[in-house]
Amino acid sequence: MPARRRLALGVWLLVIALCVAVIARTRLQTDMTAFLPRSASMAQQVLTEQVRNGVASRLILLGIEGAKPATLAALSKSLAARLRHDTAFADVANGDDASLAGAREFFWRNRYLLSPGVAADRFTVAGLHAALEGDLGLLGSDMGALIKDSLPHDPTGELLTLLRPLAGMKRPHNRDGVWLSPDENRALLLVHARAAGFDIDAQQAALALIDADFQASRQAVAGAAPARLVESGPGVFAVQTRATMKRDASRFSLLATAVAAGLLVYAYRSARVLLLGLLPVATGALAALAAVSLGFGFVHGITLGFGVTLIGESVDYAIYLFTQTARGDSAAATLARIWPTLRLGALTSIVGFSAMLFSGFVGFAQLGLFSIIGLIAAAAVTRFVLPSLVPAEFFAAGAGALAVPLLGVIRHRRWLRPAVAVLAMAGAMALAAHRGNFWDEDLTKLSPIPAAEQTLDRQLRHDLGVPDLRYFVVFRNADEQQALAESEAVSAILEPLVARHALGGFDVPSRLLPSDQTQRQRQAALPDADTLRARFDQALAGLPFRPDTFAPFFADVAAAKHAPLLTRADLPPALRLQLDSLLFKRNNAWNVVVPLRDVTDPGRVDAAVIASGQPDVAFVDLDRESDRLLHTYQHEATMLASIGSIAIVILLLFGLRSPRRVAAVVAPLAAAVIVTAALLTLGGGKLSIFMVVGFLLIVAVGSNYCLFFERQYGESETQSRSVASIVLANLCTVSAYGLMSLSGIPVLHDIGMTVAIGTFLSLFFAAAVSTRGLANHPAAAESIRHPAESP
Amino acid sequence: MRPSRPAARLAAALWTALAVPTVAAAQPAAAAASPWDLMQLMHALQQVKSASGRFTERKTVHLLNAPLVSSGTLSYVAPDRMQKVTLSPVPERFVLDGDQITMVGGPDQQTHTFALTDYPQIGGLVEGIRATLAGDLTTLDRYYDLRLTGDAASWELLLQPKDSKLTRFVKSIRITGSQNQLRAIDTEESDGDRSEMSIVEDAGDAR
Repeated sequence: MPARRRLALGVWLLVIALCVAVIARTRLQTDMTAFLPRSASMAQQVLTEQVRNGVASRLILLGIEGAKPATLAALSKSLAARLRHDTAFADVANGDDASLAGAREFFWRNRYLLSPGVAADRFTVAGLHAALEGDLGLLGSDMGALIKDSLPHDPTGELLTLLRPLAGMKRPHNRDGVWLSPDENRALLLVHARAAGFDIDAQQAALALIDADFQASRQAVAGAAPARLVESGPGVFAVQTRATMKRDASRFSLLATAVAAGLLVYAYRSARVLLLGLLPVATGALAALAAVSLGFGFVHGITLGFGVTLIGESVDYAIYLFTQTARGDSAAATLARIWPTLRLGALTSIVGFSAMLFSGFVGFAQLGLFSIIGLIAAAAVTRFVLPSLVPAEFFAAGAGALAVPLLGVIRHRRWLRPAVAVLAMAGAMALAAHRGNFWDEDLTKLSPIPAAEQTLDRQLRHDLGVPDLRYFVVFRNADEQQALAESEAVSAILEPLVARHALGGFDVPSRLLPSDQTQRQRQAALPDADTLRARFDQALAGLPFRPDTFAPFFADVAAAKHAPLLTRADLPPALRLQLDSLLFKRNNAWNVVVPLRDVTDPGRVDAAVIASGQPDVAFVDLDRESDRLLHTYQHEATMLASIGSIAIVILLLFGLRSPRRVAAVVAPLAAAVIVTAALLTLGGGKLSIFMVVGFLLIVAVGSNYCLFFERQYGESETQSRSVASIVLANLCTVSAYGLMSLSGIPVLHDIGMTVAIGTFLSLFFAAAVSTRGLANHPAAAESIRHPAESP
Repeated sequence: MRPSRPAARLAAALWTALAVPTVAAAQPAAAAASPWDLMQLMHALQQVKSASGRFTERKTVHLLNAPLVSSGTLSYVAPDRMQKVTLSPVPERFVLDGDQITMVGGPDQQTHTFALTDYPQIGGLVEGIRATLAGDLTTLDRYYDLRLTGDAASWELLLQPKDSKLTRFVKSIRITGSQNQLRAIDTEESDGDRSEMSIVEDAGDAR
C-alpha cells in the first residue's frame, strides 16, 4: 500500500475517533423552540415553552370503560388511591372529596389574603351591615343550606367572592362521588405527572405505573375483569408517537436495507464490498453530527433522526464507484475517471443544502450544516479511502443486466424528449390550476397522532371539562412580584369584559398568589380586633342573628391580620401546578400566561388589552399564531428552495462551462419536481412542508443521475456500466423511500412518497434528456454504434 | 326439615310479589315492613304527570333568634323536573331538572347552576322529595330508610338517609299527603335546623 493511501487511511481513522469523542459529549435536545423562527415573537416563545414544559404537557387524561357505572366508580376510587401513593404524580383528581379538599382548604384558610373583596369599606359599620343583610336573605333562600356552616366564620362572604370566577366552569358529571362521562360509560380521571411532557422516558415510566396500578385495581374490585383503561394527553401522545416512529423507522429501514442489500449483493457478488459501500455514509453521518455539535453546542433530535435521510445520496457514491469498475479495471482508475462527475454531483447537493444554513430556524440551519459536512466527508471517504480497501480483482459481475431497460430509453431519447416536455408542461399547468392553493393548511395533518386518538382526546377533554384553549394574554417581567402585580392589573382589564360577556372567564396567577403588596393592603384593610367587634355590634342592630354566632369570624380576622404573607410554597399540589402553568421562570424572566375561556368577542378583548396601555402585554390567538408559523415555514422553505436552485445553476455553469450542458442537467430535474408535485396534488391532494424537503432531496439525488447521463455518449462497456450504476443507485433509493412512504407518520410518509416518485422520474427524464447527442462529444468517434442517433 | 309443597308455593308467590317492583339488587327493607301500602302509594304517585300548588315555608335556623317565613309556588313535571318559585319576602327561583340544579336569587338575582351531587346538603333533600313525587321507589330505597304510616286518605312517609354523606346534613324528611297529593314537607337537618312547608295543590292538574 503506497504511503499516500496509508496516510489517507490514518487520517480517516483519526477523524472518526475525533468525531466519536465529540459526539460522546454532545447534548441532545428535543426542544421544539429550535424550529421556531429566530425572530419568534415573545408570545410564540412563551407558548412553545408552555406546550413543551408547562403543566398542560404533564396532563394525563384517563378513562375507565367496559363495566357497569357502579363498578367504574369503584375502580376510579381504587385507582386514584393507588396513584396518590406514587411519587411520579403531582396530582390525581377523580372528582372525590380528596380531589378538591386541598384547594378548598387553601381558599378557606387564606380567604382574607386572597379575596379581592377585602377592602377597607367592607369592614365599616355600613359595609358589615350590608353584608349581614345579604346573609340573612341567603339563609332564608334555598341556598341557605350551603352557607349555614361557613357563615359564622365568613359573614362578608369572601369565600363566595373567591369561588365566583370558577362558577362558570363546566364541571364533569358526578356519580357515587366520582367523575363519570355523561352517558356513564366511562369513569374519568385527571392526572398530573411530575415529569414534563417532553421527557418521554419519564412519561413512559409514569404510564407503566398507571397501567400496573389499574391492573391491581381491576383485581381488587369485584366484577371489574372486563374493564379497560384508555389514556390520552401530550405525554401519552409523545410516548405513542415515539413508539410508532421507532417501530416504523426500524421496520422500514430494516426492509429497505434488506432490499438494497439484495440488489447490491446481486450486482457486486461480494459481501465485503457491500459493507465497504456503507463507509461513506457512516463516516459522513459521524462527521456531520460532530460538526453540528461543535457549531451549535447541541444536536437536535430531529437533526439526528433526519440528517441521515438527507445524506442518503452518499450511499450512491460507493455504488457509482463499485459498479463502474469493469473487469480487469482497478477501483482507483475508475475513481480517477468518474471523480470529476461525482465531485460536481456532490457539490450540487452541498450548494443546494447550504441555502438551509441561512434559515431563520435553528433546526433548519442544523440540518443544512449536517448535510453539507456529511456529504463532504462521504465524498472524501469515497475519493481517498474506499479505493485502497476494494479487493484488487473486484468488479460488479451482476451489474451489466441492470442497464438494459435504460439503454432502451437512451436509444429512443429523440422522441422521448418531447414526451418529457409535454409531461412537464402538463404538470406545470395542473399546478397552475391550483392557483397557489396547494399548501396543506391543516396543521392536524402534520400531527403524527392518528385520528382515532385525537377523537378520544377531544372526547375525554370535553367530558372532563378541560377547556380547549385558544386565546391567551401573555406577558413577561424580570421580577416575580412585579409579574404578580402586573397580573393583578391584567385581571382588572379582563374583569369588566367578563361582566360584558366578551369572555367566559380567565385564570390569573394573582388569584392563587396575590403580590406581596396586595396581600399587605388586604391585611391593612382588616380592622383590629376591638374596632371590628365594636363596628360589628353596631352593624347587627335590627337583624335577627344570635349575638354569639360570629365569634369564629373575629378570631379568623385577627389571625389573618397578622398572618405571614402567602408564598408559592403554601399552595397545595393541585393549585401549585396551576400556578406553575400560569407563572413560570424561563431565561431569567417570569412568564405569565393567562388562558381565556369561552371567548365570544376576541376583537374586543384584544382592543381592551391594547387600550390598557400595559407595555408588552399581548393578546394571543393560538390558531392565528400556528397559522402564522406554518406560513413562515412555507415561505421559508420555498425561498430556500429557490435560492438553492439558483445557486445550483450557477455552480453548474462554472462546472460545465456551457449553458447548453447546464440546461441538459437542470431540465430533467425541473421536470421531475414539477411532475412529482403535480402527481402529489392530483385529485385535490395538498403539499405539506415535508414534501418541500422531499423536492430538495430529488434535486440532490437526481442531479447526480443527470451529470452522469450528461457524460453519456454511447454504449461501450464503460458507458453501460455507468448506466448500470445509476440504475442500481436509483433502485436502492426508490425502494428505501418507497417503503418509508408506507408509514402512517406524516413526516415519513410525505418525504418517502415524494422522493420515491421524484427520483424514479429523474432517472427516466435524465436518461432521455441529459444524455448527449454523439456529435457533441469529442470521444464519440470511438464508439459509434448507432450513427442514426447523431443529430 | 323440608317445607311442605303448599307452603313452598305460598313463599314463592310472596317472594315474587315483594321483589317485582324493585330492582332485584336493592333490598327493600322498608317495603317488607308495609309492602302493600307503600306499593300502592308509589303506584298512585306514579300516575301524576304534573302538579302545581302554593306553599308556605317556615324555617328555623340555629343562627337566628326568629324563624324565617316565605311563600310561593311549586310545580312538578314527571318524571324529574321540580320548580320552587319564592315570591315573598324576596323573589327567588329553584329548578331541579334531571341532574342539574339552577338557582336564581340573591341581591343581584344571580344564576347558579350545579349538579345535584355537588352539594349533598341540597341534593339529599330534594332528591327525596322528587323521588316521592315520581313514585320512584328504587331511588328512594337507594338513599333512604322508608317508613309509611296512616292510610290512603291521610298518610305520612318518613325518609331517613342511609348514606353517611347525607346523614351529615339531613336527619329526616317527613312528607304527608292524601291519596296522590302532597300536603306538607317537613325537614329536619342534622344541626337541628328545621323547615316546615305546607302545600295547597291546585285542582285540575293532569293526573
